[in-house]
Formats: sequence, C-alpha cells, structure tokens
Amino acid sequence: MIRPDAPVLLEIRDLTARVEDQPILKGVSLTIRAGEIHAVMGRNGSGKSTLSKVLAGHPAYTVTGGSVRYMGDDLLTLEPELRARAGLFLGFQYPVEIPGVSNLEFLRVATNARRAGKGEEELDTFAFEDLVRERLQVVQMDPAFLERSVNEGFSGGEKKRNEILQMALLEPLVAVLDETDSGLDIDALRIVAGGVNHLAGPDNATLLITHYQRLLDVITPDYVHVMAAGRILRTGGKELALELEERGYDWVDAELAALERTPAEVG
Amino acid sequence: MASSATVGDLVSQPYKYGFVTDIETEKIAKGLSEDVVRLISAKKQEPAFLLDFRLRSYRQWLQMEEPDWASLGHPPIDYQEIIYYAAPKQQEKKASLDEVDPKLLETFEKLGIPLSEQKRLSNVAVDAVFDSVSIATTYREKLAEHGVIFCSISEAVKDHADLIEKYLGTVVPGNDNYFAALNSAVFSDGSFVFIPKGVECPMELSTYFRINSGDTGQFERTLIVAEEGASVSYLEGCTAPMFDTNQLHAAVVELVALDDASIKYSTVQNWYAGDENGKGGIYNFVTKRGQCRGDRSHISWTQVETGSAITWKYPSCVLQGADSVGEFYSVALTNNRQQADTGTKMIHVGPRTRSTIVSKGISAGHSSNSYRGLVQLGPKAVGARNYSQCDSMLIGDQAAANTYPYIRSQQPEARIEHEASTCRISADQLFYLQSRGIAFEEAVSMMVSGFCRDVFNQLPMEFAAEADKLLALKLEGSVG
Amino acid sequence: MVAASLSTPTATAGTAPGSWVSALLADAAGGADARAAQALAQTPLPTRRDEAWRFTDLAPLTALKPTLLRPAPGTHPEPAAGSLRLTLDGHSDPLAGISLPAGLEPITGAGLGESLGQVLAATGSAELWPVLLNGATARNVLALRVRGTVATTLELVSDAGDGEGILPLRLLLVLEPDSSLEILQVHRSAGANLTSVVLEARLGEGAELRHGLLAPGAEAGCLLATVAVEQATGSRYSGVSAHGGWALGRLEPRLVQREGAAHSALKALQLADGRQISDTHSQMVFEGPDGRLEQLHKAVADGQGRSVFNGAVQVPRAAQRTDAAQLSRNLLLSDRARIDTKPELEIVADDVRCAHGATVSRLQQDELFYLQSRGIAADQAARLLLRGFCEEVLQELPAAASAWQPLASLLGEEGR
Repeated sequence: MIRPDAPVLLEIRDLTARVEDQPILKGVSLTIRAGEIHAVMGRNGSGKSTLSKVLAGHPAYTVTGGSVRYMGDDLLTLEPELRARAGLFLGFQYPVEIPGVSNLEFLRVATNARRAGKGEEELDTFAFEDLVRERLQVVQMDPAFLERSVNEGFSGGEKKRNEILQMALLEPLVAVLDETDSGLDIDALRIVAGGVNHLAGPDNATLLITHYQRLLDVITPDYVHVMAAGRILRTGGKELALELEERGYDWVDAELAALERTPAEVG
Repeated sequence: MASSATVGDLVSQPYKYGFVTDIETEKIAKGLSEDVVRLISAKKQEPAFLLDFRLRSYRQWLQMEEPDWASLGHPPIDYQEIIYYAAPKQQEKKASLDEVDPKLLETFEKLGIPLSEQKRLSNVAVDAVFDSVSIATTYREKLAEHGVIFCSISEAVKDHADLIEKYLGTVVPGNDNYFAALNSAVFSDGSFVFIPKGVECPMELSTYFRINSGDTGQFERTLIVAEEGASVSYLEGCTAPMFDTNQLHAAVVELVALDDASIKYSTVQNWYAGDENGKGGIYNFVTKRGQCRGDRSHISWTQVETGSAITWKYPSCVLQGADSVGEFYSVALTNNRQQADTGTKMIHVGPRTRSTIVSKGISAGHSSNSYRGLVQLGPKAVGARNYSQCDSMLIGDQAAANTYPYIRSQQPEARIEHEASTCRISADQLFYLQSRGIAFEEAVSMMVSGFCRDVFNQLPMEFAAEADKLLALKLEGSVG
Repeated sequence: MVAASLSTPTATAGTAPGSWVSALLADAAGGADARAAQALAQTPLPTRRDEAWRFTDLAPLTALKPTLLRPAPGTHPEPAAGSLRLTLDGHSDPLAGISLPAGLEPITGAGLGESLGQVLAATGSAELWPVLLNGATARNVLALRVRGTVATTLELVSDAGDGEGILPLRLLLVLEPDSSLEILQVHRSAGANLTSVVLEARLGEGAELRHGLLAPGAEAGCLLATVAVEQATGSRYSGVSAHGGWALGRLEPRLVQREGAAHSALKALQLADGRQISDTHSQMVFEGPDGRLEQLHKAVADGQGRSVFNGAVQVPRAAQRTDAAQLSRNLLLSDRARIDTKPELEIVADDVRCAHGATVSRLQQDELFYLQSRGIAADQAARLLLRGFCEEVLQELPAAASAWQPLASLLGEEGR
C-alpha cells in the first residue's frame, strides 16, 4: 500500500559495505515507508543478502560509507539486539541451529526483549504460552516444535516457519526477509507467504529479498528493486518482477556494463 | 559493528567474594612437623585413635611424592610455608547463634548464606566453616528430631566418637594419595552427617566453606554416612578472598551408603581463581570418594566447578554392593589462566552395578580444562553397565580442552559406552540470538546453560538457578 | 663394543633388561646406525611406570634371545595378480633381481641420507624406544620414491620363521605430489623372535597412500611396528591394520598433517587370546586447518589376552575446522581377558568437530539368540558374529591381502 504521506520507517543512503577486504555494497539508496512492501531482486552475489545482514548488524560486515536511518535515528551505531528491540527484524536465509537452547525459552526471552523495547510489560510464562499458541496458527506449526532446541533438526521448511513465528511474536515495524522462499515446497511457501501477508499492515513495512518471481506471486510488492554488483540498478512496480521473469537477468548485465562506463552518473 | 563485548571480555568478571573479614584469628606457627600434627589434635581435644590416625598418615605422607601426572603446571608448593591451623578467636562453638561474633555472621550474609533465625534459608540446614573451624550449624534441633546428626567433624569427634572411629578413613585411607595423606594428618574441620536407618533427611544439608586467612591451608574433612534405607541430599559451597599468593585447599570427602541408602552430594565451587595473569588463587587438590557398600545403594556426585587456580579432583564411586548405582554430573568452567583436571572414577566391583558419567567442560581465555576419568569393571561385576558422555565447549582459540577417558574392563558380561563431543559458541549463533533482541551476555549465557542443562538438572532446586547465574558471571566478557 | 660399556648391566642373573640391550647391540654392531645404537644404550627400557607402556609389559620381549636373526625363506601363498612381492629378511637386498613397476624407483645415496629419519622427526617418533631399537639394529633400508600412479600393489613380506632373535626392518616411502600407491605389509612369525618394523612415509601434496598391514603372529613372537606418516595438503592416507597372535604385538601409527587440509583414515583390528598382549598406540597431530581423521579401532580379547588401545588426537590452535572422529569398539569374550582403552583428545582450536566413542561389551545376546533361533549352534553363532566384527576392518585391506587369508591366519585357523 503506497501512501506518499506515510511516515518513513527506513531510509538507506549511499550505503557501502565490505566483508573482509571485499567491497560488496557500492552505494545503495532505498526509502521505505509504513505500509509498503518492497522486493529486492537480483542474482546470487549481487549484494542483496549483504544488504539484509548489514541492516541487522552482522559483525562480519563493515559499513564503509553512507547512512541508514531507522525511524529517524542512526541505525548503524546500534547493537544487533537493540535493532531487534526497536522493531527491525531479519528473517534469515539459513537460520542456525542452537543445540541445548529450548525454542520456547528462546521465543519468550526474545518476545520480552522486544516488548521491553516498546515499553510494554514482560509476559509471564503462562501469558507467553497463550500468546505463542495463538501465533503458531499464523504459520500452522505444531506446538511440539516449541519443546525442541532452536532450529535443531528442523527441516528447511520448518526453520522458515519458525522464522515467521518469531516475526509474528516480535511484531516488527520493518521485516527484512532474506530468501524466505528458498528451499520451500509449494505448500510451505503458501503457508509462509500467508504468514507474511497476515502480518503486513498499514503501520509496518516488509522488505523481501528474493531471487525468484514465485514468492511475488503470493506476496504482492508495491516496489521492486533490481540489484546488481552492489547497487540498485532499477526500481519499478510489481510489473518489473514480471519483466525479469520473462527476460531473465541478461539485460541487467548490459545495463551494468553501461553504468560502469559512466560511474559518475550513479550516485 | 559498534562495540560488542567479545566473549573474552565476558569471562573476565571481577570476583565478588574477594573481600577479607577483619577478625582476630588464632593461628599456629607456619610449617609442618609431627609436633604440629600433635598440636592440632590437642587443640581439638581428640581421642587417641584419631591422633594415631593423624600420625600414621603423616608418616606415610613423608614417604610419598607429590603427583605430577595430571596436565597441570604450578610452581612447587612449600609445605613449610603453610599455616595448618587458623581459627577465628571465639572461645567455644556457641550454643546459640546470637553469641557468634557478628562479624562472622555478617561475612556469611555477604556471601549470600544468612545464618540467623530470621534470615536463614528455609528447608536448607547450613554448617558454616570459616578457615579451620565450623562456626555455626543451623536447624540442628529439627534434624535431631529425625535422628539426623549434622554437625562439624570436631564436634562429632567429641559427641559421636564411635561413629567417627567406625567410618573415618574407611573410604579414603590415610595413605590413599599424597594430598589425602596430608589432609588425614592435619585436617581441621568439616562436616559430619549421619542419617540413621530408614530415615529420609527432611531437608537439604549444606556446608559453606570460607577461606579467610591469606597463608592458611584449608584441609577440611567431610564424612557422610547413610545407613540402610536412609537418604540425604547435601550441598557444599566455597569462596575465598583474593590474595596474590596461592593457597592450598586439600580436602577429603568420604561417603558411605549402606543397603538401599542414597546420598546425593552437590558442589558449587567458586574459590578465588587468581587474576587474569594467573597470579594468586586457590590450589584445589581434593579427594572425594563414595562407597556404595550396601546392595542397591546409590551415590550421586554433582559438581559445578568455576573457581580455583588449579583444580585436581576426581569424585569417585566404589560400587561394591550388588545393583548399586554411581553417578557423576559435572560442569567445569575455566577461564584466564585457570587449570582444571577433573573427572571421576567408577570402580565396579559388585554384580549389576551401574554408573553414569556426564561431564561438561567449558574452556575460555588461556585456560586448560581436562576431563580424566576411569571406568573400571572388575571380574565380579557381572552385568555391570556404564554410560559416559564428555562434552567440551571451547570459547576463543587460546583455551585447551583435553579428554582422557580410561576404560579398563575384565568383565565380559558388562557394557561400557563412551561418547564425547566438542563444540563452540559460534559467531553466527550469537548473531542469530542478538538479532532477536537478546543481549550478547544473555545469548552467551543461554547457550552455556543449554550446554550444561543435563548437569544443572541434577542440582537441588535451590541451587540450580544460582549455578546458572554463577556461570554467566564467570563468562562475562569472553565470547567473541 | 662401545655399546656394551655404555650400558649398566643390573645385578640380576640371566638376561636383565640393561644387559639384554647391550648383548643385542654387541651382536648388531658394525653395519647399523651408530648414533641410534648409542641412544638406545642410554635410554632405559620402558617400564609400566611410563604412561605409554602402562598396560604393556616388555617381559615377553626381553625373554627373547638378544641376537640378530637371519630367517630362512618361508613358504608363502602365490602373490595375487597385479601385485609385486618383495621379501624382507633384514639382510639381502629385497630389490635384487626385481624390476620395479613404472612410477617406483629406489632412493639411494644422498637422497636417502636426506630423507631418512625426516618423517620420524616430524611425527615426534625418533626417540620412541621401538624406533631406537630398530635404528640400532637395522642394517639396510628399503627406500622407494613414487611418481605418478603406480598400478601395481606392492607387497612387503617378512617371515621371521621359527628362528630366535631380532628381525629389524626399515622402510621409507616418498610419495611425490599427486602420486598414488597401494602397499600391503605382511609380517609373520612362527617362533620366539621379534619383528621390528619402522615405516616412514612422506606424502606430497595431493598424494595418496593406501596402506595395509597384516601381522598374524606366533605364541612366543613379538612385533613392534611403527608407522610414521607425514602428510602435505590434499594428500590422503588410509591405513588398515590387523594384528594378533603375538606374545606382544604393538603397533604405533603416528600421523601428522603438516599444513592440515589432508585426509587420514585409520582402521585397525587387534586380537589377543591366550596370554597375548595386543596393543595399539596411535597419534594424530593436525598442524594446520581443515584436516580430517576417520579412525575405527576394533579389538577382541579372549582367554587371558590383554588388549590395549591409546588413541591420541591433537588439535592445536592452527588446526581450525578440523574434523576428527574416533571410535573404539571392543569385544571382551572371556572373564580372564582384559581391555584397556583410552582416547586422548587435546584440543585448542575452537572451530572443530572432534567426536570419539568407545564401547566394551561381549557379543550381543539378542544377536546370538536370533542366530540360535534359526537353528545355528551357540558356539557357531558366536563364531559368525566374531567374524562379522572382524570383517568390517579386514575387508578394507588391499585386495592382495586375500591370498593371505587374513581372518583365518589371525584366528590361527589356517592350514599351516
């Protein structure tokens, strides 16, 4: 839902970042307002996953320039947990397994951390169990998963559902979903997408990072950005995704080559 | 990223029990000789059999050599530089707590062990040992109603000499090993527990050891006897002030379980570990052994070892009675320059004896953490079973985790299984938790307590949460 | 006679350990490595007080006649097709009259001087007592360089026969980068003698060595075998060994991955019956990252036999992302037999996977019962299960081993 007067939640300006000595992001700018759904598409290695990690504050990535303002404040100086408490959520492409740490306990601690960030009271064990059981329905997850260790032994689809369950509990303002569709069969994709759609509202925003059109068949984006070589090459509406689907990514290469001949034109 | 404490910083939390109580202390002169042994015995007005035991042990100790086989390194200990007896100056053990020096009560209160009527823990009886002597034991009357004896070993020597003579030194003989022999010669105080036939001890028993003097060795002796069908759960806690010098702690603990008896012995050890450069701290050389003397008896050791500069400790079970059960659950955390060599021995003698070993070692900083265990099945241990699991968690790439599980079997009708694994806290796992709003320290602590859960589950409820907090505190600053 | 004066014979009558060594050195003098002889004379015989010999008594060895043995040629099965057999007797040149297959050439002269002992040093094996003993007594070295892929399996065979004394064998293999070789060592004995073997193997980058060692012994015979392997990155070493039937049989595989990133596999079976001692002390050191080890050690102890396994794995700080798995499985078949097993993991690197496991048990009752319920007699069922237990390792030996009937020879069932 595009409302030009909606408040800006996330504003990325000329962001550059590297991992080890390798520059990955080479000047990314993006503005996200409340109520919007954005999709960033691009080939593997285009920098789209790096963008999500940098937004969440992964220690392996170093920001070398530009700025990110979240709700008007500087996001980049915040520790990852403070970003999460402020309502920024990253759905991981490969959620890690944490043996020994109970999923239920993890969800409760995380939920209460986020609630504290919103100035809300902590939920006690019982209130939390009620909440988690209600939110489980968003992703049609078996309560048995609560008793296991975080993601340990979960299938790919179960891990992704666990991610969306976390999103449902943390109620983020900006959700960045990194390749949430990868490794899902069609039923799991439908469930995950259903969860995302259910959670999207006029006050929050979603940034989908994806390689394929198929996710965008079930979640309709307001904006589509095409990324290549660490930059956003083009921005359009949902029809841009369809164009990519039809024409493939080859034209992106041509455009990129053109750009590299005239670097001054890119901001 | 902005700052992010490394796990390294996390582990370097200052030791919060490092204060010294300013109290007048009676000490004997430094050094060890037959006269010193006699003097200690005389001060405690001991019967002849005990002086004999001390002297025999002392003479054997003189013939023994300090062991050097554990993977530990420490400068030589000068046994003539140690004070073997120190006691806060108060005449007798007081009949009522009101008469105990308030400074001592205050000390224990600061340590989280309130002793006074109003504040004491409900359902936990406490024996508080300060340097060489026991200063107070709570709930004695209530325990006595059930026939349970819980007092300092010095009092037991006076009031229950027959029991002491019958059991002392029968599990850990005076010449068992170098440090046990030393302890047998000079032990000062400790706790005595006796649970008579058929009695289930109505509350948790606990002894709290506090080393206060800088140049004193602590040589406490604990003896727990559970008669036929009796059961008890006992917890030991330890702290010491921070001194630049190393102090020697060489305790002996003996457990005896008769037919159908059950003893659960838990330790939360938080002696001063020395500073980050390895200066100061306690040398903890302890002999702990339980004997399942009776059929179907059960001894369970649970330990959370977080302190001491050097730990050398193998709580063991001799499974003599048929169908007896031995258990060992251990968490050993080392940081900075700490060295721990700990594990257990399960000696299966009787038929159908069973033992379980679960050991979790966490190594951070430049520390070294070794599990050394022995599972031995003798020729009569028909149908015996052992299951061992030793897991190590490494934090940072400067710490060492060693595993030396000896298995010796002479018994074909037995089954022994051993498993071990090594893991670490990965940056990706931490980031994942952080990205869900969980602070770095809490993320580390969640993972560490997840790793230790199998052991913490064995601790008495009152102490499980405390152990959890203690580990988190000890690890503060060390993951990264 | 220098050696004799260096040692201090003890007062005990007969062959006391010290004089045993000096008598042996006197017999071996000339011909062998003088430095090693001196080192041996100065090194006390290992005793049960040494951690590495805690469970292994050298008494059966010092009971042997301290002289060099020159065995008579034995009768052996025909070599399998595709294998080349070299017979080692400690004296004659095993390469005499042999034409080596493509890719193999002898190392001689300066090349030999440069390479010999290097792998022993790299694996920390040079000062081990069995290695000193070998160095002090071995008169010649079989040294081969490997280039490219050698299609022929090399069989290195010794048979100490029923003579008395010591048969020392020294072997060196240098595998050039990307070369590949399969060898099978077979060591047999039928009498009161010691077969002392030291093999050094250096694997260049990407080289592969498939190494089998089959050693069925004799009731009074002893075997001390050290296998030292140094691996460069990308190399693969696979060692499969089976020994048993010796009064004292000890195998010491000692591997080092110098820069990590190599693959090592050790599979072993050892048997101890009667009053035999079967011992394996293995050591794996990772000196660089990304190394792998797969180790399976199986042991069977019957009669009053004694089986000892010590498996050291060292993962220093440089060895990040090491993946090492060790499993020790032991069958204890008699109530007078003994099993001692001890893994030794020493880990400093934090990003590693090191797992080890150990089991000691007898044959599974439910498996026995299952076979019995199908009409198989109890002892036959036990035999079948025992064979199954052994075959898991034996079938990994080079194909050329089948001519030697590994299982039958180890169980003493072959028609000799």
